[in-house]
Amino acid sequence: MAAPRKSQPSAWWTPRDVDEGRSLCFTLGPLSMVLGHGQDEWMLKVESAEEADSDANSTRLNVRKGLPEEADERFVHSGEAACVALSPRLADRPIVIRPRQPVFLLGGQQVTLYLSTPVWLRVEVSEPPVLLKEFPVMRMSDTWFGPSTRDGELCYAGRTHARHHLAELPERAHRAITPMTIRNDSGKPVPLEKISLPVPMLSLYGAADGSLWTQRVTLTLEDQAEQARVRIDSDLPEVQRKLDLLAGPRIEGGRSGMTRAWNLLLGN
Amino acid sequence: MLDTLTGLIEFEGLLTFGRAIILVVLGLLLASLSARLTARALRARLTPQLLQLARRGVFYGLLGVFIAAALAELGFSIGVIMGAAGVLTVALGFASQTTASNLISGLFLIGERSFEIGDIIRVGDTTGEVLSIDALSVKLRTFDNLFVRIPNESLIKSEVTTLSRFPIRRLDLQLGVAYKEDIAQVREVLMAVADANPLCLDEPAPLFIFTGFGDSALEIQFSVWAKRENFLALRNGITAEIKVAFDTAGIEIPFPHRSIYTGEVSKPFPIRLVNEDGGNAAAHHGEQAATGNSQKEE
Repeated sequence: MAAPRKSQPSAWWTPRDVDEGRSLCFTLGPLSMVLGHGQDEWMLKVESAEEADSDANSTRLNVRKGLPEEADERFVHSGEAACVALSPRLADRPIVIRPRQPVFLLGGQQVTLYLSTPVWLRVEVSEPPVLLKEFPVMRMSDTWFGPSTRDGELCYAGRTHARHHLAELPERAHRAITPMTIRNDSGKPVPLEKISLPVPMLSLYGAADGSLWTQRVTLTLEDQAEQARVRIDSDLPEVQRKLDLLAGPRIEGGRSGMTRAWNLLLGN
Repeated sequence: MLDTLTGLIEFEGLLTFGRAIILVVLGLLLASLSARLTARALRARLTPQLLQLARRGVFYGLLGVFIAAALAELGFSIGVIMGAAGVLTVALGFASQTTASNLISGLFLIGERSFEIGDIIRVGDTTGEVLSIDALSVKLRTFDNLFVRIPNESLIKSEVTTLSRFPIRRLDLQLGVAYKEDIAQVREVLMAVADANPLCLDEPAPLFIFTGFGDSALEIQFSVWAKRENFLALRNGITAEIKVAFDTAGIEIPFPHRSIYTGEVSKPFPIRLVNEDGGNAAAHHGEQAATGNSQKEE
């Protein structure tokens, strides 16, 4: 079942040097990018394929001679330093995830779903780092999340296979995995139809094999309340590998909990 | 001596006049300065509308005080002026009913806050961005960059649609598909197009409504939601995508149809050909054929 040319997974977010006249070619899942170091400028060319078509496990990074013929964007910067730092970030809006089939959580049960969200790529050059561009690895569809069409917020939409065993997860280098534990303390079965993941409040961690993780999020559904308690864990997910912190949350937590709460019950 | 007396009176008069003028000029300067300072100080806290009101209030208030002082200097008694003004007001009141109505409507419009400066409103056929809500009228800038003045009175009395009030907006597309098409398949194709378009919101979900059996086609309404700022982009994008998807799936969007019968559906339409002389072309044609045949035989 191994792909013919499976690249060696690795942590691609270490900085590297790209001298003048050379380009960095980077492929991450559906994204392929070429960053060329021209004379006093940086040239960027980005291509995004469909997620279903791309080889989700391909992460290729190499520095080659020559500049891209046609750049999408050029950034004028006359710094001497040639170091380039690519780093992943989480999405800038919450993501509303719907399971592909309806999932029912029976009373008194608890499940940990592994939800994955596509990451954003941050391109910085030179020392001290200057941000060139931050963009998503793949384009996600907009969606609205709120009690009515008047109040709410704009989010991204995602689908999930709602896997609850770590071994079943496919390795997809362009997605960050959030373990979400849902506890149903009420007596009735609860349908999990739409889950709003507060992604801007999560931190991003990376493992040496190139996989990306966030903290665990816990959702507790209580008996009488319409609302559920949401808690973002501050400790790392237990995934049996060493994780380094890559990025902090975009929005600091605080009153994060209750506002995310009634998402699960909006299923119908 | 009379000369010096008149000279003195004139000089006195000139001095008072001069003082009055100075007061008015001073008042103008001070009022405009204070108005500008007030505007700068309150810019962060007030909406553009209220800021304008505050600025004008301060300006006219201060100017009024200085003009009253100048008038007092010139010797006019405020009481007499007020009395005359009272009589004048009654007369003016009858004449300016519309203006008063506009003034009061303006205050109510501002109080209601159904739209503010910067909102996009539609009044009747006019759509535009609100530039200012003044005492008597509201000024709009239409999208083709024309300046429109709408009296407040007509705004209070009629329906005003504020297009920029809510963050998301629904686009209703009216489509027609040929009678031979499978409605379920059309629905699938449309939902797939909406799913693939990133500007089209997943929630609220796109709406498929079968509106009726039309004259020439099955009429369908397909409604999709988008962020208000993306509305135009979605409208252009998704209509093109629907056309492409229909072409690929072989779904026909028909032209208007007219079926003509001569009274019985099964019978063919009788046709009689005539030539230019008006004679019976069929008979003529038959003769020609016969002649042609005989010619050939020979």
